[in-house]
Amino acid sequence: MDQSNKTTWRPPRVCDNYWSEFKHCKSLSNRFHHYYTYGTTPSCQQWKEDYYNCREWEKHKGTEAKEELQKSERNRVAEQSKFTPVWKLRQDPPRDWHLPLNQDKPQDS
Amino acid sequence: MDQTKEEDFGYDLFPERRKGKYKKGSIAESLFTFNHKCQVMLQFAMETSPYAKLLLSAMKSSGCKVWKDRHFSCEDCDGTVSGGFDAASSQIVLCQNNIHQQSHMNRVVTHELIHAFDHCRADVDWFNNFRHLACSEIRAANLSGDCSFSNEVSRFNFGLKQHHQECVRSRAIRSILAVRKINREEAEKIVDEVFEPCFNDHTPFGRIPHSKKDAKFAYRDYENRDRYYANL
Repeated sequence: MDQSNKTTWRPPRVCDNYWSEFKHCKSLSNRFHHYYTYGTTPSCQQWKEDYYNCREWEKHKGTEAKEELQKSERNRVAEQSKFTPVWKLRQDPPRDWHLPLNQDKPQDS
Repeated sequence: MDQTKEEDFGYDLFPERRKGKYKKGSIAESLFTFNHKCQVMLQFAMETSPYAKLLLSAMKSSGCKVWKDRHFSCEDCDGTVSGGFDAASSQIVLCQNNIHQQSHMNRVVTHELIHAFDHCRADVDWFNNFRHLACSEIRAANLSGDCSFSNEVSRFNFGLKQHHQECVRSRAIRSILAVRKINREEAEKIVDEVFEPCFNDHTPFGRIPHSKKDAKFAYRDYENRDRYYANL
C-alpha cells in the first residue's frame, strides 16, 4: 500500500465505537443471544484491545498501534467472508426494478 | 421426483396477484380498512426500524432505490402467510389481513426486504434454482428476527443452545414448501446443502442482529463503511 498519505490515515472506526462494541459484547443479553445462536460464549477481549490501540494511536500516532488495529479489523472482514456464495453477484441491478407496473399483466410467472 | 401438480410458484397464496391487475381502491377503502392500517404500519416501519432503514439504504447503494408505492403492496392473502416477494413484478407483498401489530410488520418488512436485497445484488434464479431460493430463505429467517428467542417461545418452540440455527433451518424449509411443489425430504436436503454459506452470509448487516441495539450498531457501521474500508 502506498504510504505517502501517512498523515491522512485514521482508525477504521471512531474510538468510542470500539468501547461501545466491547460493552455491548459483554452484556448479558448479547451473551444470551450468542449462546442461543452458537452454543458458546462470545469472546470480547479483541474489542477492548482495539479500543486501547485506537486511543494509543490518537495520542502518539505510533505505527505499532495502527498496525495492530488494521490487523484486527482485517481479521474481522476475513471472518465475514469465509464462505463460498451460492450465487453470482450482479454487476448492475435488475433492469425491471424501476419499470412501472403493468396494468394488465399477463398471467404467467 | 415426479411433480404431478403444475408448479404455480406459491401465487395461490396471493389471490390478488393472480388477477393480473393492480387495482386502486376508493377513498373509503383507503381510510377505514385493513389496507389503511397496513399502509400506516409500513410507513412507520420504514421510518423507524433500524433493520428496515439499513436494508433500504443498502438497496439504494446497490442501485435499487425502494419507492413505497411502487415496491410495496398491501393485499389480502390466503391462510396465515404474512408476506412475500414477487420477483416478477419487483414487489413486496404485505398481507394486510394477517399483520395486525407493528412489531410483526417490522419483522415482515425486514424479511421481505432481505429477499429484495438479494434479488438486487445477486443473480438469483427464484423460479428454477431451489438452492438460490433456500439460501435467501435461510438468510431472511436468520437476519430478520424471525427466530428470536421470544418469537420462538411464542410459537411454543422451546430451545436454548443453538436453537436459533434449528429455527432458521425449519423456517426455511417451511417457506420453501409453502411456495414450491416438492416434498419435505427434498426441501430438507437442499436447505442442508446450502446452510453453511448462507447462514454465515450476514450482508448487509455484518452481524446477526438479535436486537434493536444490534441493528442500530449495524446501521452505524453501514453509514461509516466508506471510512472503514478506506482505512483497513
